[in-house]
Amino acid sequence: MKKLAIYMLVALSFTGCLDIRLEDQYSDPDAINTVQRARELLASAYNSIPRYQVQLSVLSDDFVPTNLSSSYADLLNLYNWQERAIDDLSATVWMDYYMTVANVNALLPRLDNVAVEDEEDAAELEKIRSEAKTLKAMCYFDLLRLYAPVWTDENMDKDGIILKDRLELQFLPRSPLSKCISEIVTLLDDAAKVDNPAGEVYYLGNNAVAALRAEVELYRGNYGDAISYGLPLLADAESRWTQTDYDNLWSDSNSNERLFAPYIFDTFYTDLCYDTTNGDYYILNDDIVFDEGDIREAWTVYPFTMSASSSNPREVRSFGKYNRMYYENTDVRYINTIRYSGVCFIVAEAYARDNKEAEAIALMNRYLAARGVDEWDAADPDLTGDGLIEAIIAEKRKEFVGEGTRWFDLKRLGGDLDRYSNFGSSVSSTVKEGDYRWLFPIPRSEYRYNEYVNQNPDWPVIAVE
Amino acid sequence: MLLLTTTLAISETYSAAQSHGKRVLAGQVRDESGEPLPGANVYVRGDIRNGTSTDVNGYYSLEFPDGKDIRIEASFLGMKTSTVEYIGQAEQDFVLKADDNMMQEAVVTGRQNINDVDIRARAGVINEVDVKRMQDRPVLDMSLALQGSVPGLVVTNRGDLGTKPEIRIRGNSSFREGDTANEPLYVLDGQVISSDAFMTLNPLDIADIKILKDAVACALYGTKAANGVLEITSVRGTNGETVVTYNFDGGVTMRGRRAVQMMDSAEKLELERLLKNPEAPGYRYSEDYYRRYYPTDPNLDQMIAEGQAILDQLRQTNTDWFKTLLRNDFYQRHNLSVRGGNSKTSYYASANYSYQGGQIPGNDVSRFTGRVSLDQAVGKKGYVSLSVNGGYSKANSPNGSTYSPSTLVYELNPYESTTSGELWSYPNRTYDDLVYQYDRTSTEKRFGTTASINLEPLEGLRVDAVAGIDMVLSESIELVPSTAYEEINSGAAENERGRLTKSKNTNSNITTNVRITYNKIIGKHDFTVGANTDYYYDDIDNMSLTGYGVGTQKSAAAINQSLEGSRKLSTSNMHEKTAQVGIGVLAGYTFNEAYDIFGTYKADASSILPKDKRWNAAWAVGIGWDVKSYFKDWNPISALRFKASYGKTANLAGVSPSLASATFSYLDDSYGDTRLLELMSLYNDSLKPEQTISTEASVSFGLFDVVTFDVGYYDRVTQDALLDVPIPSSNGFSTLKRNIGVLSNSGVEASVFAKLLNLNDLRLNLRFSIAYNRNKVIDLYDGDRLYTSEDSIIPDFEVGKSYDMLYGPISLGLDPMTGLPVFQGADGREIQANETLTRDDMVALGHSVPPYSGSINLSFTWKNLEFDADFYYVFGGVKQYAYSYVRYYDDANKNAVKGQVSNMWFKPGDQDKMYHTPFYSSSVIENLTAWPNSRSIGSSDYIRLSMLSLRYRFSERQLEWSKGVIKYANVALQASNLFTLTRYKESDPESGSLVGQQQPVVTLSLSLSF
Repeated sequence: MKKLAIYMLVALSFTGCLDIRLEDQYSDPDAINTVQRARELLASAYNSIPRYQVQLSVLSDDFVPTNLSSSYADLLNLYNWQERAIDDLSATVWMDYYMTVANVNALLPRLDNVAVEDEEDAAELEKIRSEAKTLKAMCYFDLLRLYAPVWTDENMDKDGIILKDRLELQFLPRSPLSKCISEIVTLLDDAAKVDNPAGEVYYLGNNAVAALRAEVELYRGNYGDAISYGLPLLADAESRWTQTDYDNLWSDSNSNERLFAPYIFDTFYTDLCYDTTNGDYYILNDDIVFDEGDIREAWTVYPFTMSASSSNPREVRSFGKYNRMYYENTDVRYINTIRYSGVCFIVAEAYARDNKEAEAIALMNRYLAARGVDEWDAADPDLTGDGLIEAIIAEKRKEFVGEGTRWFDLKRLGGDLDRYSNFGSSVSSTVKEGDYRWLFPIPRSEYRYNEYVNQNPDWPVIAVE
Repeated sequence: MLLLTTTLAISETYSAAQSHGKRVLAGQVRDESGEPLPGANVYVRGDIRNGTSTDVNGYYSLEFPDGKDIRIEASFLGMKTSTVEYIGQAEQDFVLKADDNMMQEAVVTGRQNINDVDIRARAGVINEVDVKRMQDRPVLDMSLALQGSVPGLVVTNRGDLGTKPEIRIRGNSSFREGDTANEPLYVLDGQVISSDAFMTLNPLDIADIKILKDAVACALYGTKAANGVLEITSVRGTNGETVVTYNFDGGVTMRGRRAVQMMDSAEKLELERLLKNPEAPGYRYSEDYYRRYYPTDPNLDQMIAEGQAILDQLRQTNTDWFKTLLRNDFYQRHNLSVRGGNSKTSYYASANYSYQGGQIPGNDVSRFTGRVSLDQAVGKKGYVSLSVNGGYSKANSPNGSTYSPSTLVYELNPYESTTSGELWSYPNRTYDDLVYQYDRTSTEKRFGTTASINLEPLEGLRVDAVAGIDMVLSESIELVPSTAYEEINSGAAENERGRLTKSKNTNSNITTNVRITYNKIIGKHDFTVGANTDYYYDDIDNMSLTGYGVGTQKSAAAINQSLEGSRKLSTSNMHEKTAQVGIGVLAGYTFNEAYDIFGTYKADASSILPKDKRWNAAWAVGIGWDVKSYFKDWNPISALRFKASYGKTANLAGVSPSLASATFSYLDDSYGDTRLLELMSLYNDSLKPEQTISTEASVSFGLFDVVTFDVGYYDRVTQDALLDVPIPSSNGFSTLKRNIGVLSNSGVEASVFAKLLNLNDLRLNLRFSIAYNRNKVIDLYDGDRLYTSEDSIIPDFEVGKSYDMLYGPISLGLDPMTGLPVFQGADGREIQANETLTRDDMVALGHSVPPYSGSINLSFTWKNLEFDADFYYVFGGVKQYAYSYVRYYDDANKNAVKGQVSNMWFKPGDQDKMYHTPFYSSSVIENLTAWPNSRSIGSSDYIRLSMLSLRYRFSERQLEWSKGVIKYANVALQASNLFTLTRYKESDPESGSLVGQQQPVVTLSLSLSF
């Protein structure tokens, strides 16, 4: 029996060996225990920022189809706003944004366990916290604009999005629009408290926080706030709007025009091109016309000869920017997500809506001059009231065509949206203002497993019981 | 190869042998009918090294040291061991009785499998594989050779040669599919080995395999054994003359069954004309085509005539792609073994080479194995045993996930040939662009060593210890050569072509197990108590790399490392280490050799779970009642024994640490200059191990020593069953592993063994076995139904229902007007193909896993001639037809099933057709493809002749010419999987694929012992 006791002791001593440290994995409780590892986890959250620039541009009026569009049925269905196609897109958009939110939620509570050696560490830790919150606010804001109705007094209590604070299985209802916005504002306020001057362009520093805040304020109609958050960013805008900076946007070089541009290692924006000999599924909408001398034209329009049918080739205006980089086999390293010119449009629109038209035109003229376009005449009677706002939005469309921002403006500003037949030769259908499809549907992957969530109006729900 | 069992009685007391000299005992071993038993073991009890085996006529001559209290035992597989006291007699014959209980093997304890304690078998359900029959089967894969060997052990082939089959004991114990969660535990000589290592063992090195099914049998292995255990004992040395045995098997492997008969050229061209796709020549050169597209062309008649000439030309060719692409190949096996020893030391060594060629060129398996074992007596109180084994096996396959030359059999047109240039079935490609597109070689290098000590320091007290390591290094290398069509057309520059993936996976298992058992007999009372402690360590290290630019070189060194972008060299690594430590106790009591009670408790701690949840238990109790012991002398009932058991085991199979706590790992890419550290999966704080509760009752019953019945009922309930269930995607992940409910597997296993003829020179035995398994969802914690896909309208799991049921609508056949199927709705109304089906319209079509399986074994002996045949059957299941060989407009250019022209609906008024119209709109696709229906499934019942063996043993007289050099010799004609009878119309009812059937192998085998 003595032996038995010895063997039992030996066995018990083995239990100590059960805390096996995995060499290529880090497990809780001390998985994230250094500032560097926290930064690396944040990097994977940044890396997971969804990339739907192509799809959102196709949904907007940036492009028209070509004879090749029918070979990519899913994208053509999306162009035509088919219910099923939007539903499919919505499924991955919803999932991807919430994955980024989950990454942030994995990081934030673990920051409290990070060992801080010195002041530098402590400062870096606060920066990480600030950036994580900004990233989360950015995701919430995109989700809100995709899934919730536009901001009006009567929509305030309508369903917004699901606000998720914890990395664990939860079955949550959608919060009202007003609560979603205040959550976003709280996150941005928290983030702004930390001193985090712009470092790498692929991190969300103080300027990005301010730019996002300006956009949120414009969205909810606080024009004064939009101006006060946005304007300081434009103090040295001319130095960022040089020809070189503009050209560099579409390269892997540095550009001062970038305010926030996630780093990318994979390929990007490859869905527009059928192949480099035959051309693209979609080309630029003819509505988008550049004046002579406009430096934007060279990078936006990519002249191409498509063989519409084998007998009669057709000269078309293919889309440039990332699509041209794909043709020219240039690596995309930065996705230009927030740009200083974007802030300019936010402030200009806020001025115009806040009855400060002179300031709006003055600001626009700073921008137009930099782009090589004739300045606006402050005395022009067309450049007042809605006319001025329309003119600002038209310039914004030219600046950002194909970058996935237009759909958000179309939804926010209202109005009908025309769908065209091949090469834009005729209008094939029109999506009316107020159409139910302006609100993305809550995907099946959510509502089938979460009884607390409501579907958006008029979208179908699979009935199973 | 002669069969030997290594046996050792647990409660043996070692005699204080004194070496006064050698004694010799000779005699014959026979069965009850007087038939000699060749290959039976005769040995000094408790000292198997002083043992020998009988010759072809059952004679033996045993030499052993003199001593006190010597007992001599004779044993033979399937027979009861017989013991006599040695009192100086010179001759001793043994008559062995058949073991009445075929479901319960003889009570023996192997020295290495130290968990195989005596008392376990008296209450637990342990089946022994008939190793001899398994060895007779010319099949390279160890696990496939086990198919049908034991009721309730279901082995299912899943693909072409070299693919790992599915092995389950009594069904899936988890909601989770797949091997990790449901595979049994493999133990070789006390050492845990991986299933990959098991697959490559040499069958001839195996002395016995025990299948442990119920809680009492498995509980000694703790939480690792929730899915049952295969306990394997290897062949060991003997005391006696050195015997060298050489076995050779050589034969052919055949093409097997033609899955479906395909069209000849004339019918195919006619089908193409009807399908109207100009991509196919039958329409492109038809009169219909020219009249439609060139109705006003002045040269119309000439065009039609030219088209006709081309079609006539095509009709001349009639390639049978089944014969062209599939081949007969060969099978061979060489095995050399040496065994022998003396009273102190015994040894066994073997070497084996085997090769089996698959159905398609480039698919084959070859294997080398080697094994050495040594047993050494230590003083007078114990043994030390050591064994080392290794193996190298290699499988080649040209079938990959996207390349499968086997499927070409059912795609290439009869009017095409290997030399006919560009193919219609694969536009822009020639035959050469379809083959040699992919090449995969996988190798497994296995190494294992086991050491054990068996001591009996005091009478009745045994201390056994085993320690060992088993390693499998699996490597695979996959090449898509630069000359492959896909690479040529990839757009990549020439120096970037050729893709190579190389992976290495090292799996190491370390086992230590120490067991103390004390046995005391006081009058009619027999007590056993024991305790053990064991430790299992598992290390899995996977590495793989994928690179480009290798050209046609199948070597990682040829990868062009300067490439960037999508053709950049990429690597991945996964290294997981888990350990488990356990402490167990057991107690058993037998009264009057009639009543048995046995209980065991084992606590295991696993590194997989966080500290606070680390310890989990497995416990079981069993009772046995040998009724026969009350009327020992009443012959009509030759055996009657009842057994029952109940137990509970926690199960952690398939759970990794990242599922229970937040775990992060690095990705290859970076974000700017920062590495990416990613959360591996959403973890579940409240994850618990599954709890398996088994109840078992069995009876065995013998009549006149002629017929033996064994019937057992079991019920295995899995509580807190784990599954990756869908969760709201706002959680950032789509699934989470959760404890979601309760399921049960229950069933009946029965076998009958009958000695139909038992004459002097003539014997005929028949064994029939059947197993029935029924599974059911007992409870789901979140509601009554669970849908694992967000799109499904039929729940994958529903309380009260079986979880392997196929659901679909009832088809009423094709509407003669539209050519589309009409379904019967729940309310009895007819549902057209373009209407949406609802849950209520779906009915249960049948089980996808056949609930019944079993085997029929026939043995016939006449003088020196032995004939054995094994049939394996399954029934009660259905499988959906893939119909991948039925062609519609889009794939009109690929070959179709014979008879499609007359069986397909083409125009309004076509009655009673099988295949729906080729012309339909996209709105009906959902109903046509998303569900099986009552007409697109077929019964997957089959019966297969899995083994046939005709063996002739040469008698001693016939071998006299060799002057004693050849001791034993036999020749045999053996075959596996000769034919399969099934009503299933398509392909193989077992694997469900057109090309993955088990191929017939016929061999001639020769065995010589020197």
